[in-house]
Amino acid sequence: MRIIIAGMGDVGQHLAKQLSTESHDIIAIDTDSQRLNYIGSVTDILTINGSSTSINILNEAKVNRADLLVAVTSSEGVNMTTAMLAKKLGAHRTVARIGNDEYLDPQSGVNFSELGIDFMIYPEELAANETVNLILRTAATDILEFENGKLSVMGLKLDKNAPVINKKVVDVAREYHTSYFRIVAIYRNFKTIIPSGNDKFLPNDQVFVITTPGGIENILRLAGKENFSFHNIMILGGGKIGRKVAKVLQESMTVKLIESNEDKSFELADHLSKTLIIRGDGRDIDLLAQEGIIDMDAFIALTEDAETNIITCLMAKHLGVKKTIALVDKADYIPLTQTIGLDSLINKKLIAANNISRFIRKGEVVAIATLEGIDAEVLEYIAQPGSAITKKKIKQLGFPREAIIGGVIRRDQSFIAVGDTEINEYDKVVVFLLPAAAKSVEKFFHA
Amino acid sequence: MINYKVIFHIIGFLLILTGMFMLTGIPFSIYYGSDDIAALLISSFITALVGAAAWYLTRGRSSKEVTKREGYIIVTFGWIFMSLFGALPFIIHGAIPSFTDAFFETMSGFTTTGATILTDIEAMPYGLLFWRSLTQWLGGMGIIVLSLALLPLLGIGGMQLFIAEVPGPTKDKIHPRVRETAKRLWGIYFLLTLAESLLLFLGGMNLFDAITHSFTTMATGGFSTKNTSIGYYASPFIQYVIILFMFFAGINFTIHYYALHRRFDFFKTNDEFRFYSLFILIATLLVMITHLSLDVRSFEESFRQSLFHVVSLVTTTGFVTSDYENWAYFSRMIFFILLFVGGCAGSTGGGIKIIRHFVLLKNSLLELKRVVHPRAVIPVRVNGKSVSFEIISNMQAFFIFYILIFVLGSLIMSFIGLDFISALGAVATSLGNIGPGIGTVGPVANFAHIPVIGKWFLSFLMLLGRLELFTVLILFSPAFWKR
Repeated sequence: MRIIIAGMGDVGQHLAKQLSTESHDIIAIDTDSQRLNYIGSVTDILTINGSSTSINILNEAKVNRADLLVAVTSSEGVNMTTAMLAKKLGAHRTVARIGNDEYLDPQSGVNFSELGIDFMIYPEELAANETVNLILRTAATDILEFENGKLSVMGLKLDKNAPVINKKVVDVAREYHTSYFRIVAIYRNFKTIIPSGNDKFLPNDQVFVITTPGGIENILRLAGKENFSFHNIMILGGGKIGRKVAKVLQESMTVKLIESNEDKSFELADHLSKTLIIRGDGRDIDLLAQEGIIDMDAFIALTEDAETNIITCLMAKHLGVKKTIALVDKADYIPLTQTIGLDSLINKKLIAANNISRFIRKGEVVAIATLEGIDAEVLEYIAQPGSAITKKKIKQLGFPREAIIGGVIRRDQSFIAVGDTEINEYDKVVVFLLPAAAKSVEKFFHA
Repeated sequence: MINYKVIFHIIGFLLILTGMFMLTGIPFSIYYGSDDIAALLISSFITALVGAAAWYLTRGRSSKEVTKREGYIIVTFGWIFMSLFGALPFIIHGAIPSFTDAFFETMSGFTTTGATILTDIEAMPYGLLFWRSLTQWLGGMGIIVLSLALLPLLGIGGMQLFIAEVPGPTKDKIHPRVRETAKRLWGIYFLLTLAESLLLFLGGMNLFDAITHSFTTMATGGFSTKNTSIGYYASPFIQYVIILFMFFAGINFTIHYYALHRRFDFFKTNDEFRFYSLFILIATLLVMITHLSLDVRSFEESFRQSLFHVVSLVTTTGFVTSDYENWAYFSRMIFFILLFVGGCAGSTGGGIKIIRHFVLLKNSLLELKRVVHPRAVIPVRVNGKSVSFEIISNMQAFFIFYILIFVLGSLIMSFIGLDFISALGAVATSLGNIGPGIGTVGPVANFAHIPVIGKWFLSFLMLLGRLELFTVLILFSPAFWKR
């Protein structure tokens, strides 16, 4: 596919890297020539230096032959203009990153696809949703839900005393009832492993499991964790994400939100009637103590500043808070933070990039997600009538080793895939894969 | 940390490829009944076996990514290993018994230089002659670019290798992906070679000569299968065809690509192409001034001979039709100067390259203007776009290195015992990947008489020139090896 990406910020770079390894033809447009030189030398893409709102530049990028244009510069206005121009110049589909949720409201009265913008992504909203999910499922470090929770992928960190330590995957499968869940990946020493039966679990492994709702109990037991429910939440930072998270959580929990800006805190107090807004610097440990951080079940740091978020989360962890979540937009920090003991990370740029790459796969893909910091992707496919996947039992398919079929959703039911499972037409199939296998997996679902 | 595994992995693949290509001359050996089949088979077997062993032993996940540093090491050593193994057929057959000579000949082939140590080319068996021409064809567009096209070998790493092998100060991608770019470049290269073979065949060459000469023309190599080079063919048609295709080979291949897509605006917009054409025209006219003597040659013949040698030297091909050592001093002086010109960037030609001359000359001229208007912003513009300061600085560094290596090289060659003129000629022609020089290494002479140490040194200069100095020189800089 020929894809034009306007804006080589974090989102753009992540997309360019990911998509070029999947052998798509990527053309990157940015006004910063140094940034382009860098990305052009580390990825296999074509770079064009200039403004993406220039018709000349868009034509130079052969926008009329583009299957997709993705506008992800830091400016909403530029993104929308780029998408509109590109559509008029012949781009097949357009995606623009926005910073305003009014545009996503179906009642807004503005038909954006008529204007030339086929799809809009709002990274802050996506990040807020993920944060809320993590709070509701407390034991997991990562959580992805498919079809309203009929299947979910959970990430769990194994403690030293977890019952499965030093056991083989096959043995664990025998011991616990694996008809409800399946281990799909292990993240160890900065590497993602798609496990075979003989791999062992080691302390500090991050294990990814796909499960039906009935399997969650068992999973928590084998990881040596309990799912406790939260009552007291402290949020740091009242930006777009913090505000959204507070708005959802305040309905069922006691939420305290710390914001340093005076005007902003007044406005927040106005907006979030059930949340206690506290004005102050979250790095001030006395303030945190005064507001009873020790009694908190969870601490969520969502300021613009990744360092502040990491430090305050570490502080909260030190003071005994059970669960900490930090917003870290610097991709370079992600591998680090997992080793220094943070529970969960939210990277809104990565989330945005993953959301966009859904458009790049063939039409069969309904959802896609990447787990923070690890290379693997989780994709939800619809098995097309006559596609290879529907012809044989899973174990006879010759499915690539870098990929694993996790679970199947058939109408209202969901179940975990095993070797003998046969997939029917229009089943929704959740697949866990390393990027190198993306192309060959795609073929299985294509009619 | 340098990942040596990936280096051997890719060099292994290059050797497999080299080994396979050695076999392609065998049909001609069979047809002409020459005695080199065994030599080619054994060499091919050894080369492919060593390559396959290196490839197999270093396979695995870590052999997929190439960083900038590894890219430079792979390209430089890949070329050295190819030349070492490429020399095997000559040694095993015994046509070139000395290892030094065989290595020199092969390096001269792969780097598309075309300097030869053979005193009687026509005595060589056909299979070896074919291999000799093929080395140039492979080296012309670059064997690493070829392997990028053939294999989904490397994703990101491919770009590093592409940068390190493709000549020219700027690398044009004609497609977002390196592999597709490489495919298109080799596709055009193949088509042009095919077209030339056809024309030469129609012009009266036999099939063997038509193919081998097309190989060495399109690569701007200059190996001929005849002792007197193109002078063997009296037909003006053949000479004009070769002039035309030497000219094509010296053009940036992205221009061919656009021309194939019926975009001909480069006549107006591409400064390098216009400068290249104009330069060839003026140089030809200057040579003709002293070469025109109507009592000996017709006007057409003078023009043809002048044009042939000018195009041959500017594009760094190195074919000759007559011994220009007997021409007027003025013409010979021009020919010597032409050794420093080179083809366009992104062509198969070697040398300093037209674009560098164009930019540096323009920059120097603008410097005069800058002196008058100290606060004016006066950029160097090429194709209507200003050239960044980094690129100009890179070109200046290249130019200085080139001249410095030429000067030091000439000193070394004269120390070894070459006379003044021949030392200059030998170094200029090797560094520029041209072939014939002046003096005792002139157009009808050869390099057989150069001392052993000199042959190794000139082989090194050829490699330096083909990989555009930096790729090789970087390996000598302490900064490269520091962690």
